[in-house]
Amino acid sequence: MNVETFKYDNRIVRAFAIATVVWGIVGMLVGLLAAVQLFFPDANLNLQFITFGRIRPLHTNAVIFAFVGNGMFMGIYYSLQRLCKARMFSDFISWFHFWGWQSIIVSAALTLPLGFTTSKEYAELEWPIKIAIAVVWVAFTVNLIGTILKRREKHMYVAIWFYLATALTVAVLHVTNSMTMPAGWFKSYSMYAGVQDALVQWWYGHNAVAFFLTTPYLGLMYYFLPKAANRPVFSYRLSIIHFWGLIFLYIWAGPHHLLYTALPDWAQSLGMVFSLMLIAPSWGGMLNGLLTLRGVWDKVRQDPVLKFMVVAVTAYGMATLEGPVMAIKTVNSLSHYTDWTIAHAHSGALGWNGFLTFSMLYFLYPRLYKTQLWSTKLANYHFWIGLLGIMFYIIPIYVAGITEGLMWKQFNKDGFLQYPNFLETIVQIVPMLRLRAIGGTLYLVGVFMMAYNLYRTAKAGEFEPDTEVQAAPLEKTVSSGAHGKLSWHRMLEGKPMIFTVLAVVAILIGGIVEIIPMYLVKENVPTIASVHPYTPLEVLGRDVYIREGCLGCHSQMIRPFRSETERYGEYSKAGEFVYDHPFLWGSERKGPDLAREGGRYPDAWHYNHMDDPRSTSPGSIMPRYPWLLTQKMEMDSLPWRLSALRRIGVPYPAGYENGPAQKDLQAQAEKIVANLKLGSVNAEPDKDIVALIAYLQRLGTDIKNAPVTTAAK
Amino acid sequence: MEQKVICGIEGVGIYGVISILICFTFFTGTFLWVVSLKKNYLKHMEDLPLDGSEKNSTDKNQPTTL
Repeated sequence: MNVETFKYDNRIVRAFAIATVVWGIVGMLVGLLAAVQLFFPDANLNLQFITFGRIRPLHTNAVIFAFVGNGMFMGIYYSLQRLCKARMFSDFISWFHFWGWQSIIVSAALTLPLGFTTSKEYAELEWPIKIAIAVVWVAFTVNLIGTILKRREKHMYVAIWFYLATALTVAVLHVTNSMTMPAGWFKSYSMYAGVQDALVQWWYGHNAVAFFLTTPYLGLMYYFLPKAANRPVFSYRLSIIHFWGLIFLYIWAGPHHLLYTALPDWAQSLGMVFSLMLIAPSWGGMLNGLLTLRGVWDKVRQDPVLKFMVVAVTAYGMATLEGPVMAIKTVNSLSHYTDWTIAHAHSGALGWNGFLTFSMLYFLYPRLYKTQLWSTKLANYHFWIGLLGIMFYIIPIYVAGITEGLMWKQFNKDGFLQYPNFLETIVQIVPMLRLRAIGGTLYLVGVFMMAYNLYRTAKAGEFEPDTEVQAAPLEKTVSSGAHGKLSWHRMLEGKPMIFTVLAVVAILIGGIVEIIPMYLVKENVPTIASVHPYTPLEVLGRDVYIREGCLGCHSQMIRPFRSETERYGEYSKAGEFVYDHPFLWGSERKGPDLAREGGRYPDAWHYNHMDDPRSTSPGSIMPRYPWLLTQKMEMDSLPWRLSALRRIGVPYPAGYENGPAQKDLQAQAEKIVANLKLGSVNAEPDKDIVALIAYLQRLGTDIKNAPVTTAAK
Repeated sequence: MEQKVICGIEGVGIYGVISILICFTFFTGTFLWVVSLKKNYLKHMEDLPLDGSEKNSTDKNQPTTL
């Protein structure tokens, strides 16, 4: 038989492994800093660059795209070569992918603290970086498909299906959600507005969780778990159902992030129903993983790799049961905007992604360095301290979330809100926030232990840059089945391109069913005659709000519950957001909702509150923003901003940005300065704070000040 | 509002039927597919990750108990 000798590329696997550990530590450190600021706001050292609003997106991006992203590539580059019995398609593309991805991470680490953000969660990076992501992602996809095409194994193992679905779906999601109009090198406005923007964003956001944090890791589970247990997967049939069921259903579930918002009810119901259906394939996958260990549970006691895997798969099962439960509208009415969501996200991130990544690292290092793990004992300590860290992280936050949800909704016997001051509900959960930071610290200590253990393992062994192997080349014609007849499914997975097209069709069905009505929604959002575009000063103020990441803690979406309308005012209507590029509904409340903030307090109150929140609201956990009082607003870029907004549909008159806008801005700023003087505050009209006050005082006033008229189509 | 949106689509009645058909066909098809799979094919696929083609180069160095 003709046998070919070839080499697996281990260098690229090692590079991604090192990047995984380094960025994991960075991302978690930033997360810890953010967590500490939630109960000790001065931990930002009064630096705008490391204040909560700016580092929260840095933390999420670093953990998702840097830690899990590099972990995913590490696992894929290792397993794909072995499952295809082929070296990666192109070494050049592999390294282009590696350095391209690291450059994107570095640029994120620089731009997010500088306040360059689109504000759309998990898609905060500005447009030049978005383009770079698209280019690097295409390189990865070409390398993936190229390797599959030159494989020496006739069949594509199910793990490769998950990798393919990841590559293609992330590309579709990224491009659709990145449609922005640049207004300078590091400023852009989402092409979509309000309700439409919210639906696209959460279609993306939810599926970023699905296709960046879940499907690639499921593929890795299907490779590394049988490998580590030295047992075949429990049921290959179940893995096929798991794959197709998951990718078909997941894409529909995005609207569950927007329950009870101004999003049309039909979209909300669609999101809820599909979320519930997702339990079936998710649990099928979890059981398939755990049952693979039948008969070898004794190994789990000894092998830290398997220990980490068991907890990872269990966490996957728990998170994928909890997610659908939270997508039930009645449960969501309690859980949304609270820390419950944060606990849910972290049971997935710390348990599923974190622990599976650690297990892969412990599995790969001894193999890459042809040695044994330096210390099994230390790995076991890492396991227990990490598990303890997860518990200390999520349990207090579950308690905090449910406490917040219940306190927000509590009425006294006279029918008034029991806790009318939002601050009371935050003060109540501060002890839980402290405990959460302890949990995060424990988890991070475990990661340091692992880093040291892996370093010592590498020192003790000898790195094998290429693994030489032999395999027979793939015959040109796919051989027929046992009875001479080729079954269609085997033909399908024998032809990766057809398989790829079908997988894309499966994910597009859900996407299209949601996106086509989304355009209809745009046509049918009831227009409110009194809703006008933001003034130039308000546009700059809104951009300050975006830059400082205010939506990390403040929502702008009052849900139609009595507990919310009593606290904040009239519930939010879809028509109020038609000029909101991007939408700023937020997903978490560490401070009160701001949808009807306009006119609630005098201008001077906002000035003092921004200078020192505790001077106006004792006990507040909001950071100070003294730099807003001294930094000049970005007047120079105003023409770019207004013309960009006009190009995407905001009806500013032609030429408005060249003179009239500046005049209007000046007049409004002078008015605010005069108001501030009434409150014994001397401010200059060209400072950021003036623009921000203008924006905050505008919020929700359109329908507050005018009768609502809806124009039905 | 959702009624307006949905009823505004021409021939909207067919949407629900199509949705159910897509779901039903999709899952029935997947089920039939996996049921029809041959045992030897499944065995081959299950064993793919365990393929020991590189045993000589690295696996002998693996810790037996970690």
